[in-house]
Order: sequence, then C-alpha cells, then structure tokens
Amino acid sequence: MAGRAIWKGYINFGDVNLAVNLHTAIKEEHIQFHLLHKKDHVRLRQQMVCAYEKKPVPTEEQSKGYEVEEGKYIIVDPAELEQTTPEDSRMIEVHEFIKTEQIDPVFLERVHYLAPDIQPKGYGALLWALEEMDVAGICTWTMRKRSYLGALQARGRVLRLTTLRYADEVVPARSLGLGEIPLSEKELKIGSDLINQLTVTFQPQKFENEHQKRLQALIDKKARGEKIAILKPRRVKPTTPDKLLQALEASLKKVA
Amino acid sequence: MKRKPRTPIRVPSGSSPGKEEEAASHGIWSGTISFSLVAIPVELVKAVEPGRVSFRMLHTKDYSPLQRKMFCPEEEKIVPPDEIVRGYEIGPDKYIVVTDEELESVTPERSRTIEVVEFIDMKEVDPLYYDHPYYLVPLKGGEKAYQLLVEAMHRTGKAGLAKFVLGEREYFVAVKSTDGVLTLITLHYREEILSDKEISPNEVETGADEKSHMKKRIKGMMADFDPEKYADKRRKKIMDILKKKAKEKAPVEAPEVGEEEGGGPADLMTALKESMRKVKKKR
Amino acid sequence: MSRKIVEIAGKRLSLSNLEKDLYPSYGFTKAHVLEYYRRISKFILNHLRDRALTFKRYPDGVKKDFFFEKRCPSHRPVWVKTAEVWGDEGERKKVCLVNDLETLMWVENLASLELHLPLARAGSPETPDSMVFDLDPGDQADILDCARIALILHDLLSELRLASYVKTSGKKGLHVFVPLNRGETTFEETKQFSKAVAEIMQENYPDLVTTKMAREYRKARVFINWSQNDASKTMICVYSLRAQEKPTVSFPLSWKELKKLAAQKDLETFQVMHFEAVRRAEKEGDLFHEVLKKKQRLPHL
Repeated sequence: MAGRAIWKGYINFGDVNLAVNLHTAIKEEHIQFHLLHKKDHVRLRQQMVCAYEKKPVPTEEQSKGYEVEEGKYIIVDPAELEQTTPEDSRMIEVHEFIKTEQIDPVFLERVHYLAPDIQPKGYGALLWALEEMDVAGICTWTMRKRSYLGALQARGRVLRLTTLRYADEVVPARSLGLGEIPLSEKELKIGSDLINQLTVTFQPQKFENEHQKRLQALIDKKARGEKIAILKPRRVKPTTPDKLLQALEASLKKVA
Repeated sequence: MKRKPRTPIRVPSGSSPGKEEEAASHGIWSGTISFSLVAIPVELVKAVEPGRVSFRMLHTKDYSPLQRKMFCPEEEKIVPPDEIVRGYEIGPDKYIVVTDEELESVTPERSRTIEVVEFIDMKEVDPLYYDHPYYLVPLKGGEKAYQLLVEAMHRTGKAGLAKFVLGEREYFVAVKSTDGVLTLITLHYREEILSDKEISPNEVETGADEKSHMKKRIKGMMADFDPEKYADKRRKKIMDILKKKAKEKAPVEAPEVGEEEGGGPADLMTALKESMRKVKKKR
Repeated sequence: MSRKIVEIAGKRLSLSNLEKDLYPSYGFTKAHVLEYYRRISKFILNHLRDRALTFKRYPDGVKKDFFFEKRCPSHRPVWVKTAEVWGDEGERKKVCLVNDLETLMWVENLASLELHLPLARAGSPETPDSMVFDLDPGDQADILDCARIALILHDLLSELRLASYVKTSGKKGLHVFVPLNRGETTFEETKQFSKAVAEIMQENYPDLVTTKMAREYRKARVFINWSQNDASKTMICVYSLRAQEKPTVSFPLSWKELKKLAAQKDLETFQVMHFEAVRRAEKEGDLFHEVLKKKQRLPHL
C-alpha cells in the first residue's frame, strides 16, 4: 500500500488548480551493515579530522569552504546558504506539456504518486487527458526548502510526479567516444533472431531479491557458529571477435 | 522526499570495507555481460553526476582542510582501513562479521557477470521501476561483441533483463541500447513497489465536455522536451553568493606546516649566505 | 548548440558548443580554445605527459562558475589514459593523463581552460622533477617587482651552480623552475631548500620579499611561495591558457628577455597572449624544454 501523504500541493496551470497529496511509491529494504573495529567489534563513527592535528574536530569548530584556487577557500556562512533556500509554496507549477516518448529514461529520478485531496473534481479529466494524449507536464515545485524539476504523468489509477535530473547532471552517451566496429549482416541477423527468440513479456514478479534471503541465511549460519563455504565468483570467458559468429549460431540453436 | 544517495552502488574494497571506493581498476565495477553463449567484458561507469555545489569542510581556527576518517569511540583514536570490518547487528552490541569473500560466496554466479536471461520491450516497463542509470563500456577485446549487442537491441527494439550482485546488494537491471551505448538501469523489485489502489480516487464520471476542455488546455501548452531550459536555481544562487564574496575578500589559506620552524641545514645556510654576499657584490 | 565529431589518430571524439564565447569581453570561443591548444600541442604535451591533471573547467566562460576536478571523469572516452594515485582523504582515485592530442582535445572540449599539474609524475608522486619558486605579488606589488626578485634569485641559484628557468603565470606573477630530473630528490628536500633560499632572500631584501603567507606581510612585497613544493600542490602548466579577461598564457621567457622587460618597466609587455604564444613557440621552440631534461642535484643538503 502506498505510503502516507508526505506533502500537500496544488497542480497549477492556466485556470487549473488541483489540490493533491504526494505519496511515496517505493519502499526499499536492505540488510544494513555497520563498520566495526576489527579487534573488539566496537561500532565506528565517522568523524571530521584535522589533517595537521590528526584529531577529530567538533562541529562548532568546522567551517564550510569553497575552493577557488588550489588550497584557497572562500568561507561560507550557513546562514547565507539558508538564504538561498527557496520559499516554500504549495504550487506544482506546470510550464509546458511534452510527448512522453521524448523523455529519455536517464532523466527520470524518483516516481511519487499524486492522489487527489478530498474533492477529486478536475482530477479525473487530467488523468484521462494525460493518458489519452500520452503527454507529460514539465513542472517545478518547492518542498521542504528544496526546488524540484519534474514530470507530471498519468499511468494506472493515479497521477504521478517524477523528479527529473537537470541537463548538466546527465552524461551524454556520445561523450564516451566509442568507436564503430563493422559487423556482418549475418552476425546482426543471427543476433537479432536470438534476441527475438529470448523475448518475453515483462513479468517483474519473476525477479526476486534472492541475495537478501541468502545473505540473511549466511548471517544466521554464522550466528550459530557454523562454518561458511567460500565459493569463488563465477568468471565467464569473453567471446573473442573471431568466435562471435560461432557463439551466436550456437546460442540460436540452443534456444530455437 | 529524500534524494537518492550519490552512487547507490557500494563496492567492497579488497579486505577493507571501510570506504565507498572503486574496487576495480576501472569505473565502478568491471566484469562481463552475457546473453546465451556470448560474453562481453565491460566496465560500469556513471551516467549521472550530481550537480551539487561541493564544499570542503575546514578547521575554523586555521582553515586547514578536514578529512573524513573512521573513529573508534572507545579507544578514542582514528582507525586505519585495514582494521575495519563489516558487521551485522544481531543484538545490542552483538555483531556478526561478514568478509568480502563470504559476501561474494552468497551469490557467486552473479558477482562478476550480468547474465541477461531474457529480453523485453521497454514500453512494457512502468517507469515506476526505474532506479538509477549507468553506462556500460566495453573493455579490451570486447568491442565487437559489445557493438553486436548494441545494434541487435536497437534493431529489435528490445532491452535485456538481468540480475547481478555488487558488494552487499543484488540488483535487478535492464540493459538497453541508447545512442550506440549500453545503458544499464537498476530497477526496483516488484515487492518494493507500493500499490496505488488505496489512494486512488473513487470512480467519478468525468463528462465529455470536461475531458475535451482539459485536452484543449494541454494542447495549448505543448512544446518539445529540452532539459537545457531548466536550471537548478538554488545552485545558481549559491554560486552568485560565492562570486560576490570572492570579490569582497581574498580567499583564506591554511598555513604551511613548518612555516614557523626556522632555518635549514647548517651547510646550506652557510652556502646561501656566502652566495648571497657574492650576488649583492656583483649587482 | 553545435556539435562536431572529429577523428584523431583513429579515435572518435564528439566536440560540442563550439561557438560558445568563453572570453566574452574579448571574443574567444570554445572553437578558438581548441584551436589554440591544437596548435600549441606539440609543445605543451611534453609537459603534460604522465602527470595527474587537475582540470579547471569554465563551461560557461571565464565570467561564470568554474570548478576544479582532480578525478578523471568516469564518463571519459575509453581511450583516455589514467593513473591511480592516493587522494588527501587516503582514498585511491583515478586521474587523467594527457599524453596525446586526442586527450588534450577531449579535455578542452570540457572547457578546462586552465591545466594544473603537480611537480611530480603520477608514477612517482613523492619525487618532483623540479623545484619551484612561485613569485606572487601582494596587492600593492606587481609583476615588475616579481621580475626584479626573479633576476636576483636567478643570480643566487647560479652561484649555487643551479640552472633555473622562468615563466609568466599568465596572471600577476612569475614562476622560477629549477630542474632536477634525477628521481631521487624528495619534496621534503625541495621544500627545505626552497624555504631556506626564500628566507635568505627575505633577510637580504626585507622590503621586497616575504616568505609568510599571511596577508598583512604581503601588501607591497613579493611572496616567495616555497610551500608549493609539495606532493599535494599543483602549478599552472607552461603554455596553458589562463581564465582571465583575455586569453593570456603561462609562457616561458629567457632571462635575457626578462631583464629587458624589467628595465622597460611596462607591465603589459609581460603578458603573452594566445596568438603570440603560438607564434613565438613555433619560431623559438620550447624555452622550457630544459626543465624536462636537465639533471641537477640540490647541493648542501
């Protein structure tokens, strides 16, 4: 079940003003480890240490600096940084609408649900229209002293607000400078056939976090004082360029 | 709404798990990606760099930079990386230590290989599943097989699904072909996704008029997606403050260690004094 | 936003934002920056080779935000060479080595107008190849004062049988380099030596020289920053552009020329602009070549 409402806002564009509640859509759980001192298992703390005195420095004696030149800093007052925090408003300002397919998934950060607050008037129309036209509203809002950029979309029963990354935070794929290796039409055809043979519908429930369970079992085993068998990670031999076609043909034979 | 941690992937660093560092000598991780009988040596690199303005913490009294170190509160001293172990709490102050080797033994078949078991159409994947994006780049010798996978996935319009283990976690991932490069997106597990049923509105009939009205409004605001249009305003404000300060006062610098200790080795000082005398005479 | 794919030595590189004006008061675009570095590459690459690069990036030009980068960006082209070094927080980090033209072009495409380097090579971070005297004028001093001090320093070093070479910082100061290139002298030694030399200079020219970092000592004096002789410090690479109003260059000068300029007393003439740097280097060759080659030992240590 979706988490409780973490924020209330208003979707705003033109004469539209919809009161909505923001809910979390993801709940992650991981086995948490702590860092310990090897000899006595005392839990370690992270400290800021002075490079010269080699002693931890309490927070009152710490200053924030911005490096402007090698080893030279401008000191920033936390109060000054406070001033830059945006004013909290409840507006989710929609600036424009774009075709959903134009958003490269690399820009998507986190999805949240937007449920209507009490009166769902207008909500249904927006939900319907966004899905029908397959568009997303690009919007900005401020929450808990932070500004966000996001996409307002419809999928399923509720509206969704997904935070977006800023353009300069995304590394363009072409900056990786990968070269182009010529491939034969045969290799490409067999490769494509192989992929099509291995294509299924998306069934995410098939993929479970087995590792968590096994890790828990390992921990339990150790707690009982049992010995753990050390297994080496499986390493696979890379397919050399001259053996590529062969490997593709053998693979296709296997799955067909 | 919590912002995701910088690099969600944590890597064991040999025998000392005390740091989030790059275990492999390349990128974040290196290993192979395989589908059926084809295996490609690859390296995982960042696709996203956070845009935060980064500050350095300094010691207020002399502006010397501070470093993050692990500290033992009992012995009251800094603990070097080789004395740090990873432990799981099973009771108050009771821990089970797990080594890197034991960690890799949990799922050895997926610690070094991303095995793509099936392919799907990305359109079927609800964006709700997306977690974090990375790029995979080929390592030496794997360029051809890599290119084949990139092109074949592009031709068929499909993406691969796999699971792989990195450090303490196992990731469910989608590997797709974008702009000639393999993008790896970690996905949330189905069980991590919360249902929207409870919070969805009751079925309310929306009139045809209302619908067409909304459609019209949206149509009037259509544009092309250009992420460059939007900038992080707060970052800009912080930079403006910094620029202003830089103009007002000169930046501070930590004193050099040993600045106070006078003189060098006797021989050198004598030689210098003598040489200086000669120089002054000539001038 | 223009984009261009070029191929250098069989490697593909995507160049972007070529018409972005990075020096708006002067009019020098990213394309111009790339062109400058391309033309100066046969001189600058020898000095960049095998050294951990610190980028100083100005993606929106010299008037806007800049940032330092010591780590080699993980999204680099696969052919960029890297080395592993220890960072100041005790962590291992990967640095970029600019050993060829294509890497230099990639670096400049990231608008790293300034290139800063440590005095030691990445493979042997504790043994510098040269000792440096970073002459930094106080608020009420200028490059002319630095020149006078540099000339005296040169004489002093010559008395000690040490050859030295000078370059402009491209900003307000001068850098005097003493090549070592023996792989045996440590930073501890160069720091000790340079500090002693700086103190002798201060002792004998107290109104012109200071060895103290604190602002109050520096006003009308030249600060001899001996503490730059450290594994964690970097210097602007010779032939690098500076992110000033105009694209000046950190350029080597012969001692003869420095003497002449000091006598003329004209501050402007000390600065070498980008086009002049290319012209002079192509005509006279690399005046800093000996800094990479000459083997010397520090005496009396």
